[in-house]
Amino acid sequence: MGCEGWSHVKKGTALNISSSDVILLAHAAFGVLGCLTAFWVFVETLNARPANAGRIQAAALLTALLMTAGWICGGYWYVHFYPHEKALILGGPWPFAHNFFMETKEHLFFVVAILAFLLPITTRERLHSNSAARTLVLSVAGLIVVTGLSVEAAGAIIDHGVKIALLQDALKGTHSWIPQSLQSLRN
Amino acid sequence: MDSTIASESPKLTSATSGFVLAAALTVVFNTALACVKDTSAPLKNFMKSLTDHDWTTQGLVDVLLFVGLGVVFMKSRMMERTNPIHLIVILVVAVASAGLGLAFWYAIF
Repeated sequence: MGCEGWSHVKKGTALNISSSDVILLAHAAFGVLGCLTAFWVFVETLNARPANAGRIQAAALLTALLMTAGWICGGYWYVHFYPHEKALILGGPWPFAHNFFMETKEHLFFVVAILAFLLPITTRERLHSNSAARTLVLSVAGLIVVTGLSVEAAGAIIDHGVKIALLQDALKGTHSWIPQSLQSLRN
Repeated sequence: MDSTIASESPKLTSATSGFVLAAALTVVFNTALACVKDTSAPLKNFMKSLTDHDWTTQGLVDVLLFVGLGVVFMKSRMMERTNPIHLIVILVVAVASAGLGLAFWYAIF
């Protein structure tokens, strides 16, 4: 990159990231990371030995901490910022993004959280020598991955519900800003 | 797995068994409460009055129930005799029922 490019980067458009955006993205990131650490527990438990017992317990505790962080961020955002987006979704082409996906997501999340709190308790068993305990940990970790990723997918659909509601408003001319790429689609 | 490690009888400690059963019951309770509060405005308003949002109250109630039931079951001698496979089946069925139940409820409500 030459001097001109560098100066362009230095002078570039200022980042306009609100606290609402940061909290929402942190919520999703903590959730995905929690699913990944639960999957880590699952894989380690398939190969449970005395040597990896500490690693399994650490990964399980990390899962609980990440889901707690996701809960705090998501809960704060849901209570303080979501009502505006909810109004947009309900007035847009995808009202089911709230009526079905958000309503299901916000209550299914508690299931993920309870399972995440249970996981560190179950990994205190002697997994390498107890087949029932291994089956239990595999079940709990697997359920966290499946339900957690379902919640993440619902979040993506809710986000898309907001996006197409805004696009619809833009095409109708409700907003003063209309991207060039959409000008040709009007009328 | 290391073949030199002796296998234990497939039992769980009373703490693990107790909290697994507590988790299963809490998950079912969470689903039931989600459905009931949607049909009962007084209950929803009461929950809202406690923490400014019914969702926040529901989350706190779930955590308290999970911990409370877990401690009670952990101290119960009954958990020592419970078959671990039965507990695992109860938990999986509870979570599957909760997920499908919530989806069905919000599809029709």
